[in-house]
Amino acid sequence: MYLTRFLMNTARQGARKLLASPQAMHAAVLSGFPRPEDHTRDDARTLWRVDQGRDRQVVLYVVSPTEPELTHLVEQAGWPRSSESWETRPYDRLLDSLEKGQRWAFRLTANPSRTGRKTENSPTTQRFGQVTATQQLEWLTSRAERHGFTIARQADGELNLVTYDRQVRRFTRNHGQRPVTLVTATYDGVLDIEDPALFRNVLTRGIGHARAYGCGLLTLAPAQPTS
Amino acid sequence: MSVLLLRLAGPLQAWGSTSRFTQRHTEIAPTKSGVIGLLAAARGQRRTDPLTELLGLGFGVRIDQPGQILRDFQVARSLDGRDSMPLTNRYYLSDAVFLAAIGGDSELLDGLHEAVRRPQFPLYLGRRSCPPVVPVTLGVRPGTVAEVLSDVPWQAAKRLRERGPSTVRLEVLLDAPPGAEVTETLQDEPVSFDPAHRQYGWRAVVRTRVLAPNPDGRPPVAAGVPGGIALADHDPLTWL
Repeated sequence: MYLTRFLMNTARQGARKLLASPQAMHAAVLSGFPRPEDHTRDDARTLWRVDQGRDRQVVLYVVSPTEPELTHLVEQAGWPRSSESWETRPYDRLLDSLEKGQRWAFRLTANPSRTGRKTENSPTTQRFGQVTATQQLEWLTSRAERHGFTIARQADGELNLVTYDRQVRRFTRNHGQRPVTLVTATYDGVLDIEDPALFRNVLTRGIGHARAYGCGLLTLAPAQPTS
Repeated sequence: MSVLLLRLAGPLQAWGSTSRFTQRHTEIAPTKSGVIGLLAAARGQRRTDPLTELLGLGFGVRIDQPGQILRDFQVARSLDGRDSMPLTNRYYLSDAVFLAAIGGDSELLDGLHEAVRRPQFPLYLGRRSCPPVVPVTLGVRPGTVAEVLSDVPWQAAKRLRERGPSTVRLEVLLDAPPGAEVTETLQDEPVSFDPAHRQYGWRAVVRTRVLAPNPDGRPPVAAGVPGGIALADHDPLTWL
């Protein structure tokens, strides 16, 4: 597995097009793999996420089974002359080092949703976005156990978790088709690993729906205790 | 020294200080003459009555939610449709929220607080067609105008407060203290509201910013809580 960081140049038209439509970004990310089997395996798939970092930098993270080749993305939406236009690092060493009881800071952009019937006697079920902050927190905490982790608690007993950048995104797939509506939320928090095998699956396969559309990629960073 | 706090919010507001003839302007924050007029109306004073007690009050206003300027190009005709009224441009602030602080003697302010709760004449935000959202008065508090304006939580709409940080910087316009470096002057010191001869003196205004608490805001990502974890810079490549 590989983790890639790509620096977007938001001044470029290509970057704006990609940032405006998860459909376009999905296509651009998958175009970074020459063979289709490179981006999907049974135990792993390609996941991506757009973060707005410090100094308003917009960063694209990609986790994939093989190394992506993002030259086309640099030409459309990146910084061609810059040495840090994109960087890929192997992910396996981190995946192998995960153990029960470890504490990590994490970030996740997800599509919190539930399945249900619109009215009681609708013939089919459909998916609904979870819109409120409470529902969205509940969505993640209810999934934590089956994915092998728990959300850490602060000294005051509150969950060490915040949601922000909660939005309803709407974009078209193809010209003339009905638009896709997607509820997304970004979670920042601290987690404790309970079951490393299950948790490794979260890192490589993602969590929740809309994984092609920039949702479900959970990344880890060292947790720094505050005094 | 006490301060009477008013929350001035409504779909539309209009606070003119320089309007002439058919151009009816609005300032971007409530004017002193407008708010003193509102208090006088609450007490049931007629326009010709002397303002005596109200003239010495201090005044400051905080812009909690700036709103947007709205222009109404008004083409009115008489009821029978025969005469057309002058074409006017009326400017409004839409969806704005302000916190106005009136400083003065606490007995007088208590009386004004009661009057605003049970006004004799209908209250409006600068123009007769702009009713306020109730409750207008938040009560009388001890302290100076500037102090009170920085203690009161942010009064903007709930959706904005929840999205904001836990302290916000808000713009404040205060009566300039004597000897201060004057930033602006407005013809906004009410002298008489007599419709036959309205009189306004010049008023010096200092424009500053205060930090106001926002209890509904997002906490600064777990940092600062003992036993919490600093999350500010999430860089997943650190340990690879």
